[in-house]
Amino acid sequence: MNSYLIFLLAGLAIGSIYALSGVGLVMLYRATGVLNLAYGAIGAAAALISWQLDQWGGFTPLCWLAGIAVAGLISLGYGLLISPRLEHREPVIKAMATLGVLLILLGLLYSLWPANPRRLNLPSDAIAFNMMGVRLTLTRLLAFITTLLLTAAITLFLARTRIGLLMRALASHRQLSAIVGIRVIRIEVLAWSISGVMAGISGILLGALVRLDAGALTFLVIPALAAAIIGGLQSLALTLAAGLLIGVVESLCTLLPTLSSYRSATPFILAVLAIFWLQRNNRLLFASHQ
Amino acid sequence: MTHTLQNSAVTHPADPRQALKWLAFGALALLLVLVPEGLSAYWLRVATTAAIYTLAAASLSLLYARLGLVSLAQVALVGVGGWVSLRVAHSGHWPFELSLLAGGIVAGLAGMLVGLPALRLRGLYLALITLMAAAGFNVLITAVQFPNGGEGLRGFNPAGGTLMVRPWLGQSDIGMFRYCVIVAGMGFLLIEWHRRSRPGRAWALIRKGEACAMAAGINVSLYKSWAFCLAGFLAGIAGALLAASLGTLDARSFPASESIMLAALSIVGGAYSFLGAIITGVLYRVFPAFLDNLGMAGDLSYVIFGIALLHTLIIAPQGIAGQLLTQWQHWRARR
Repeated sequence: MNSYLIFLLAGLAIGSIYALSGVGLVMLYRATGVLNLAYGAIGAAAALISWQLDQWGGFTPLCWLAGIAVAGLISLGYGLLISPRLEHREPVIKAMATLGVLLILLGLLYSLWPANPRRLNLPSDAIAFNMMGVRLTLTRLLAFITTLLLTAAITLFLARTRIGLLMRALASHRQLSAIVGIRVIRIEVLAWSISGVMAGISGILLGALVRLDAGALTFLVIPALAAAIIGGLQSLALTLAAGLLIGVVESLCTLLPTLSSYRSATPFILAVLAIFWLQRNNRLLFASHQ
Repeated sequence: MTHTLQNSAVTHPADPRQALKWLAFGALALLLVLVPEGLSAYWLRVATTAAIYTLAAASLSLLYARLGLVSLAQVALVGVGGWVSLRVAHSGHWPFELSLLAGGIVAGLAGMLVGLPALRLRGLYLALITLMAAAGFNVLITAVQFPNGGEGLRGFNPAGGTLMVRPWLGQSDIGMFRYCVIVAGMGFLLIEWHRRSRPGRAWALIRKGEACAMAAGINVSLYKSWAFCLAGFLAGIAGALLAASLGTLDARSFPASESIMLAALSIVGGAYSFLGAIITGVLYRVFPAFLDNLGMAGDLSYVIFGIALLHTLIIAPQGIAGQLLTQWQHWRARR
């Protein structure tokens, strides 16, 4: 029973980061029509920069803030400089372009921080609670709470604020939104910044929870994408639930000896099932939409 | 560049100058015989893998240029082909060509299976599902490993195993290079044959719009699956060639990032001609080796490729090959 609880809690912690990343991806996709595959790489940049500043003896919370700010800036820069030039291309091409950013960031991170075992130690790692006989570090709790709060905040932001309304307008019809006078680029750049900041937060938390390696962090975008797919690239609540589910299933599979070496495939299997479910009544006609 | 000439000739079938085409074929044959003699063992190996990945790049271009689909799982399919051909090769003394075909066919079926959920969804979902497949393959192959002549279904012996038997013509490294080039050339011809016949016409209509194709009485699902299958087949053949030329495969060399890299490069190289596939193969394998040789970090190639991808998507959608071919046409028009 105890071991189940340990893995359940570990899974919930990792799952919350998947969920947080997934929410950031979906928010950006809805507002801009771009699926940012470089999301993980941006998070990796934030985590590694925070680590480096911390190593140089910076004041720790400022180091994280700096990392998160850099992530926001990278994302903002893309939204400002590159994304508008691909405005009229298909969604696949927009997603491919973010792969370019992924490759650039990955190359830079690998050459600046060659693969060495390093750990990002958050002060919250040292603080732990005892929950039904299981040790729970504050970082894990923090990951879970941050995700819940941020998802709730984004949902409210989209539903209640004026900018949220404009973002939803862009999501439902871009050309019409432009015609009624919405500053499309300005709203998009805002969405890019928010999602960049979220990427930075997820990157730092993952760097503390899993390991601090540019490649590993970059490709953790894939389980996050799986969560976003299960949410239909549309629903934040479903994405949140899917991210948590993926984390928990993946973690609990460790307990089954026959499945444990395949457990990292959980997100992909769930995502493929979700795609089957999503396309059940679909018919392809003209290529004008999507 | 040994086989550039042949393929630019294949790309322009309407070219009235038949003589030029034959000249190109002659030059190709000559280059195939002469060039590898001048290369060191290291560069010969690099050239061989580049020739092999040319085939995988051509399979990506087939999906991208004919149907507008992006597959992010092609290197994983190379791995599938490699696994099956290694498995078949270690299970008996068959001729190499049999393991080659087995690898191709199973990878073709795998490619079709991957494309199946995306048949009724648009391009973005196919890209995502192939990315999921690539990541899933990485998990699977890390657990299963490539066969190396061990016991059982997996055929993996952790203590080390034997190498795969090479084709009769490719016993030496030079022979293997020529063998790979010839098989890649045959793969190109297979794509070209498809492009010019019934499937090619169906793909062109599907690209215009599924509704148009359906109205014209085309079985959209069949021809889309066919394209996935053909692309998977070619990637699988590439995997079998890779397994034979290296003797064995390493599970660590098939992460999702490699599939992403190859997909990015196939757009940079140019997806609309075979010249593009060749440029992709060279960029993917020769360029990093070249940087390495200059003493620069291989990671730098990631940065360069990323910039090149953004540049291509924004400014030159036809890729390097498209730019070269346009230049060539300008030059011819001026004469």
